[in-house]
Amino acid sequence: MSEKSNKATIGQIAKAVMFAFIGIRKKSDLENDAATLTPAQVIVGGIIGAILFVLSIILVVRLVIS
Amino acid sequence: MAAIHGDAHGHGHDDHHPSGIMRWITTTNHKDIGTMYLWFSFAMFLVGGTLAMGIRAELFQPGIQILEPELFNQFTTLHGLIMVFGAIMPAFVGFANWQVPLMIGAPDMAFARMNNWSFWLLPVAATLLVSSFFVPGGAAAGGWTFYPPLSTQGGLGVDLMIFAVHILGASSIMGSINIITTILNMRAPGMTLMKMPMFVWTWLITAYLLVLVMPVLAGVVTMLLTDRHFGTSFFNAAGGGDPVMFQHIFWFFGHPEVYIMILPSFGIVSEVIPTFSRKPLFGYSSMVYATASIAILSCVVWAHHMFTAGMPTVGQLFFMYATMLIAVPTGVKVFNWTATMWRGSMSFETPMLFSIGFIFLFVIGGFSGVICAIVPIDIQVQDTYYVIAHFHYVLVSGSLFALFAGAYYWIPKWTGRMYNETLGKWHFWLSMFFFNLTFFVQHFLGLAGMPRRIPDYNLQFADFNMISSIGAFGFGLTQLLFLYIMISCIRSGEKAPEKPWDGATTLEWTHLPTPAPYHSFEKPPIVK
Repeated sequence: MSEKSNKATIGQIAKAVMFAFIGIRKKSDLENDAATLTPAQVIVGGIIGAILFVLSIILVVRLVIS
Repeated sequence: MAAIHGDAHGHGHDDHHPSGIMRWITTTNHKDIGTMYLWFSFAMFLVGGTLAMGIRAELFQPGIQILEPELFNQFTTLHGLIMVFGAIMPAFVGFANWQVPLMIGAPDMAFARMNNWSFWLLPVAATLLVSSFFVPGGAAAGGWTFYPPLSTQGGLGVDLMIFAVHILGASSIMGSINIITTILNMRAPGMTLMKMPMFVWTWLITAYLLVLVMPVLAGVVTMLLTDRHFGTSFFNAAGGGDPVMFQHIFWFFGHPEVYIMILPSFGIVSEVIPTFSRKPLFGYSSMVYATASIAILSCVVWAHHMFTAGMPTVGQLFFMYATMLIAVPTGVKVFNWTATMWRGSMSFETPMLFSIGFIFLFVIGGFSGVICAIVPIDIQVQDTYYVIAHFHYVLVSGSLFALFAGAYYWIPKWTGRMYNETLGKWHFWLSMFFFNLTFFVQHFLGLAGMPRRIPDYNLQFADFNMISSIGAFGFGLTQLLFLYIMISCIRSGEKAPEKPWDGATTLEWTHLPTPAPYHSFEKPPIVK
């Protein structure tokens, strides 16, 4: 497992989380994710993604009301 | 369903456990416990439904005819609490108990004794809720959201409700831990996470949501309890507290709760539609990702329930945008179900009818949800029948229809007998007709300004209310037909073939006899 997890780059985690937020993913990419990403990476990535998501909405709101 | 396992138990296995009532009290078998959950939830569905009939009878005509206003408020409050915590949630846990081990090739749930305990807490909580009608002051009457100050002022009924919620929460948390542990640790060899059926995936994510938010609910009702009896002022402005804080904490639980009640139904529909389209689920991976995405988003949208409670514009816009974005992954799911049916070799047995009905009506509920998410509109429709119509489209034609689909789909596997297909179709079409008759007109009532939680109304609302009440009585009676179908199936249904649904591909259909034996997968199957 640790060998496999070494393969995952931050970019890969970010990409997987980003697609998760939209809710679409190609099967081949998903299988690749399943082979390389560990649950811990996905959970941490998901939490960071959620924080970024919230911050980006706050940014849009600020732009709208400024 | 005693009859079901009576057979399998009698000559299948000779493991000396008690018979009669003690069998059900002491059982640790996931099938027994699943069965009890399902019967319990159906009993509570009838109790909650009876309260709904009382509400609709009172609203049949303007004026006060049947229920005094105080009792009417108790009816609306307990109808909501019983349906959410007593009917829908335990029903899904019942499905999880029956189906999760069968679908992942596990012999039972991970914590079998805790499983028993989490079920047997439920009748205690239900007794507290129902008996609260008979204590001085009657049951809680401040709405199922029990906002203070109403809930800090109510009588003993509110205390009983608080304890019931505590107990139900403990039961849900134990159930969730059990489901998470079972799914993560007890899958058959070869059953990787990405091979799991969608129903299992949706329950895994739902269970995490439950573990996240049920303690928040427990916390907020405890704060309510200490405000009521121990001199604190969390929600009392006179003592420096803030009643709006209750609403924030409650809805931080309450909005994910909505998804707790809908994600497992997504899972059931995602099993039924591929089976009766005879095609694999379109975009399985998208479905998994969309479910996870909906779960995360559900935690950052709670204040859209409180746009009129007073909130800065920044807050209103944030929660409006975040809420509207949930439509994206939800839309992905709807498109995937539709694409699964596209050019499939479809047949329309009762489970499929309920699933298609689910998609059709859930989309209406979803759209009216997006409409409510828009702040200027929400400020108009807040606390009107528009909101009532919206969430009944999500919870009745969403969650409940999916539960019916699942019950018809799996009853042959559970009992070894087939239900009456003709009556099943009648059940579907009558439910469909009466459901829309009841709730579609409530959109018009809401837009015309009829407030929720009132026993009397102005004359201009009379016609639509009468139509809605007629629909509700029809819908209620139709559910007795469901009870009849299920009982006659269990008692005297035709023997089910080994695999009644030729398009089914999950383990319970491919690797187990019908009915499923009392102990299944003692040797785990090998999944390729």
